[in-house]
Amino acid sequence: MGKDVRPNWDNPMQFVLACVSYAVGLGNVWRFPYLCQSHGGGGFLIPYLIMLVLEGIPLFYLELAIGQKMSLGSIGAWTAISPYLGGVGLASVVTSLYLCLYYNIINAWSFWYLFHSFQSVLPWAECPVNANLTGPIEECERATPTQYFFYRETLDISSNIEVNGGVHMGQALCLLLAWIITYLFIVRGVKSTGKVVYFTATFPYLVLFIYLIRGVTLHGAINGVVYMFTPKMEQLANPTTWINAATQIFFSLGLGFGSLIAFASYNQYNNNFERQAIVVSLINSSTSIFASIVTFSIYGFKATVNYENCLESIRVKLLNAFSLSEDTISMETVLDWIEKLNTTYPEQFAELGLEAVPCDLNKELDTAVEGTGLAFIVYSEAIKNMPLPQFWSVLYFIMLLLLGMGSMLGNVTAIITPLRDFKIFSRMSNELFNGLVCLFCLLLGFGFTTPSGNYWFTMFNDYGATFSLLFIVLIEVITVSYIYGIKRFEKDIEDMLGHRPNWYWKIMWVVVSPVLLIALFIFYIVNYIQGGTPTYQAWDKDLGKAVVTEYPVFGQLFIALLLVSSVSCVPLTALYAYCKKKQRKQPNQRKRTISTVSA
Amino acid sequence: MLEKVFLLICLSSALAEQLCKPDAAEGYKVRLSIKTALDDQAYMWDDNEMFLFRSTVAYAMRRQLPGQQFSVPNIVVCNETARVSFWFVVMSPDMGSLIPKQQVEKAVRMSRGRINSAFMLTDHTLEFIGIAPTLASPYTPDTPPWLIVFGVVMGVVVAGIIFLVGSSVVQKKRKKKQKSTDNNAEVNEEHSAVNEGVYNMSFTDEERITRI
Repeated sequence: MGKDVRPNWDNPMQFVLACVSYAVGLGNVWRFPYLCQSHGGGGFLIPYLIMLVLEGIPLFYLELAIGQKMSLGSIGAWTAISPYLGGVGLASVVTSLYLCLYYNIINAWSFWYLFHSFQSVLPWAECPVNANLTGPIEECERATPTQYFFYRETLDISSNIEVNGGVHMGQALCLLLAWIITYLFIVRGVKSTGKVVYFTATFPYLVLFIYLIRGVTLHGAINGVVYMFTPKMEQLANPTTWINAATQIFFSLGLGFGSLIAFASYNQYNNNFERQAIVVSLINSSTSIFASIVTFSIYGFKATVNYENCLESIRVKLLNAFSLSEDTISMETVLDWIEKLNTTYPEQFAELGLEAVPCDLNKELDTAVEGTGLAFIVYSEAIKNMPLPQFWSVLYFIMLLLLGMGSMLGNVTAIITPLRDFKIFSRMSNELFNGLVCLFCLLLGFGFTTPSGNYWFTMFNDYGATFSLLFIVLIEVITVSYIYGIKRFEKDIEDMLGHRPNWYWKIMWVVVSPVLLIALFIFYIVNYIQGGTPTYQAWDKDLGKAVVTEYPVFGQLFIALLLVSSVSCVPLTALYAYCKKKQRKQPNQRKRTISTVSA
Repeated sequence: MLEKVFLLICLSSALAEQLCKPDAAEGYKVRLSIKTALDDQAYMWDDNEMFLFRSTVAYAMRRQLPGQQFSVPNIVVCNETARVSFWFVVMSPDMGSLIPKQQVEKAVRMSRGRINSAFMLTDHTLEFIGIAPTLASPYTPDTPPWLIVFGVVMGVVVAGIIFLVGSSVVQKKRKKKQKSTDNNAEVNEEHSAVNEGVYNMSFTDEERITRI
């Protein structure tokens, strides 16, 4: 009897912190600032907040309600709602599995950078010297030291996805550490997770605050912040802006992975999740905005430093070419001198090969970078220019680790909770089962530490979860609104909370969210078909920059496999359930025939 | 006699000046960026500094070609600009011939540190155009520092896991022991109950079954 009692959170605060820790992740730090920048700065907040209200909060509420009501993981919960739709839960588990495989690689990279910050000179600050000690390594000179450190020393990246090699030992060790720490956090299930989230949910805010103070006091930070907040309202007319806002809300809240259902399943039956859903969603969005202020002040600093370096190098070029004394040209007068010298000595000036406007601060600010590029290349470049860079580096990568680990808690829980609902696995001890899951993901994750690993990572990142999630959440909301029935759902919520959800929630669930999701779904498909062959950025070591390359045939097949494997769970499980039902009907019929004979 | 010597000296200096010109075959261009390097503490470039430069190059040549007594007149400088850049060529001690480029390069390379420190400049701010600086070999420690930090963190985490898993294993063993001692206590109670007075066996049998 004791074994069947479901473990619970020690108090509702743990549940809220777990949701915050899961939802507030790396995407808040690197995807939202990128979207803000590429879609008109401050103006992007309008579609973002509208989408939060139209789809973010209602869908979040929906998943929490299901988890808390059914007290089962995603597979069990959806099977309980409709036996034909247990596949939705299974699809969530498959998608979460893909996510777990590649997400911890980011944590491994964060560890790598963190450990390398304990040196007197940060290794990405300068190019290493070549073999004959005459100058820096060529690949590093063509690119920048930070890019070289990321692509060559961290990843040892190959030239494209087809070229492979052995496992990078340093990366493998860091990945092992990342998985061991993940295991440590979830080893006793909710009991250990509940304690860890006090730290992983709150400490990143402390670091972000420290970075905010550091960021806004940096030289040139104001350029970045002004650039970000200057709204370019014409971007609002672009449909891509709205679609990106919807997608960002969607993925940022972690809907569809099953983590929210899993977390909510450990709640007390009468927990007031309505208020918690609103609170967590608002915290998530405000963290995104807060993090983007930090990111943009650092961006502005980096852009200003690059701009000034550019001016300085032009100044030196001019001095050398025209043999002028050093104090004739200063940083402020460089651009005037360019004009002067161009008019007085046109041929000599043309020999220099300078562009008409060689250094442009706006162009530096315009280089929007997202994802791992922003975190590991741009940020580390900014950090190396700060005073006392080791301290800021350590602080930054600890924050990235906490954000990443906090999200990993949710990702792994999304796999473990539904599987433990099955009798085969519930007999195993918590520690053993969790250890096996972590070991399995670790072994598969070693594939990402090979030279072509980063390309596979990008493939998983771009295709592993995006399309399947849209499909899953669309089926979820249609199931609850139409197949399960909104009236039944209302009653369940009244049972748990004591009051029915008001008209706002019902309209969102029944009308607005499904329509929005269908629109997003169609857009994705159209975009995918129109986009032609999927491409990725391959690092070319001779050019010292990333080159757009098409995926080879096996790559495209694998992408298709990723998409199909999770989406097909739904129809296949429905088919399986249908066959099983038919099987059960047949013995009933036989019984009736037997009884009539015996009677 | 004296006139002949005078003529020879004039000729040789004229020759030397002819040999030193921009893009000279055996010459090198030098560029100094004093203000960039030293900011407030920058000194003015004047004839005294030029004398120091010529003497350091002569010193470098002496180190490279031992036995030959190079001195200041052997280092011929021309084409000075306001940038502070100029060309120089090195003549042999007897002012007869030019020292080839490779020798000059070797000499400068060997004594580069000394030449730089005479002017409080670096390889970057005292440039010999065409002579690549020999960069200091990087210090490679025996164990990379990151591995040390990694080892520390890994050790702490593994200790944590062993503690957690171990304590839950110990807890389970204790629970099992408690359960078995509870069972023993129940069995003992039964036995004592049986020994007291008349006992209805059928009732006890049923109780045993339902207790499960």
